[in-house]
Amino acid sequence: MIEITNLEIGYKSKGKHNSVFKGINLTLNACDLVGLIGDNGIGKSTLLKSMTGNLVPLAGEIKINNTPSSKFTAQQLAQLLSIVVTEKIGGFNLTVWDVVATGRTPYINIFGKLSTEDETIVTKALEQLNLLPLKDKLIDELSDGQRQKVMIAKSLAQQTPIIVLDEPTAFLDHTSKHQLFSILKKLCAEKGKLIIVSSHDLELMKPYINRSVTMAENNSLEVK
Amino acid sequence: MPKSKFIFTTLMLLLVLAVLAICDLCFGSTNLFSIETSNPMFSSILYDIRLPKTLTSIIAGSGLALCGLLMQSLFRNPLAGPYVLGVSSGSSLFVAIATMMISSIHVSGFFIMGKSIVTLFSIMGAFFVTLIILLISKKNKSNVTVLLVGLMLGQILSAFQGLIEYMSNADNLKTFVMWGMGSVGSTTLQDLYFVIPIYAITIVAGFFLIKPLNAILLNEQYAQNLGVNVNALRLSVIIISAVLVGVITAFCGPIAFVGISVPIASRLFFKTSHHLHQMTFCLLLGACVVLTADVICQVFSSQFMLPINTVTTLIGSPIVIYLLFKSKLNIG
Repeated sequence: MIEITNLEIGYKSKGKHNSVFKGINLTLNACDLVGLIGDNGIGKSTLLKSMTGNLVPLAGEIKINNTPSSKFTAQQLAQLLSIVVTEKIGGFNLTVWDVVATGRTPYINIFGKLSTEDETIVTKALEQLNLLPLKDKLIDELSDGQRQKVMIAKSLAQQTPIIVLDEPTAFLDHTSKHQLFSILKKLCAEKGKLIIVSSHDLELMKPYINRSVTMAENNSLEVK
Repeated sequence: MPKSKFIFTTLMLLLVLAVLAICDLCFGSTNLFSIETSNPMFSSILYDIRLPKTLTSIIAGSGLALCGLLMQSLFRNPLAGPYVLGVSSGSSLFVAIATMMISSIHVSGFFIMGKSIVTLFSIMGAFFVTLIILLISKKNKSNVTVLLVGLMLGQILSAFQGLIEYMSNADNLKTFVMWGMGSVGSTTLQDLYFVIPIYAITIVAGFFLIKPLNAILLNEQYAQNLGVNVNALRLSVIIISAVLVGVITAFCGPIAFVGISVPIASRLFFKTSHHLHQMTFCLLLGACVVLTADVICQVFSSQFMLPINTVTTLIGSPIVIYLLFKSKLNIG
């Protein structure tokens, strides 16, 4: 599903390449729950951003379903890959329904009108994460754990075969962390999704993930 | 927001707008009801003075409110707006420069011949400041920093404007100070033939941004992942805001607080984040606010002339203060 060859990740600044990590070779398949492990600052988020198209790789190639990711339009990529990031969202009257409904952005018309089918998909995504009773609540009124579930529901509404989560447990308590991974494991098994989760807490992820990718100093990458 | 509620609210706002427009047409230094309709003075007052003024109020209010909404959504900051971020100051400074230029090339009366130059300069000023603010917001993600830089930039531009005012002759200074107080009364029907098409195009263009604006409320990374071309969205918001603020500022002066307070009030009153709803409500509410301000100005017009800027500030500031205390809207 995702094939990464000789990838070098980092940032371009004033014509200079600031390499963060290089020599990444990796193949990830459907139904995999992948734990991306490494210390803070090692390049986990940079790798995820490169995968999602938020950052252009410095070298190498990322293929999704045998097609280089650079060949996809933004719209096509949005139908293949969805993200959940650490940054909290809120304000602006955003309700749980509004946020999950944004998952339909790649499919709806320019005026943002949801069809009956889109509404059914959003409702199902909310149901899957037991969020339907909260659908009219403002995002600001939710706990951190509930917010993360809302963002995962947004990814489900986006109907992508791949979901990428960057440090999703950062603001969660112990119980919420385990609840989150249970949901992710279930999604991989039942929906056949490829889910990639970054974290520096291997012990937390161990019982749930079936593959791990460990990033360490000196461009050392261990894939299990 | 359910469709039925949206339609009902829109109709109610349209009704209020119609009532305010009629009031605005009726009120003024001359009592319109005391003149016979067959009297040429009646049609002269109605069509040459009152109608352009009412239409200008609607255009200025709705246009500035839309700009405020676009900026607040793009920056994801409810305190963003053309006045607070210094965009209006950019327009004002460039208008001051244009006024000086027109004076120096001896074109008499910048309100007549120089209007197109003034408008062009006003748009350039708005565009210049919006671009700077946007570049800063890309470098520094903190909403508070962007806001403070906007305020500082506004101060710097105002200082330059003060310098130009200091160096200008008495006639230009008077014209410019009067313009700076804000007025919807100096626009003629001929001016509106120029303003209305620009207004209509920018408003329609704004409605084409509904989908990406809904997505960017999450954050830029999410929006990009949802297929939104964030750079194109930024550029579109800059162009729409610069043209609208530039044109409105050129004709009406820098009208304060409508751009910031109307979108905030709209979000407070109408609990929706969808931009189809918010744009519609902001356009109508913005028009209602400036019409109300103008009606208030007209009511007192027999005793003294109230600058519209003073009235919009008196209406707008308490709303912002109230919201700063209440705020469930994320500010920082």
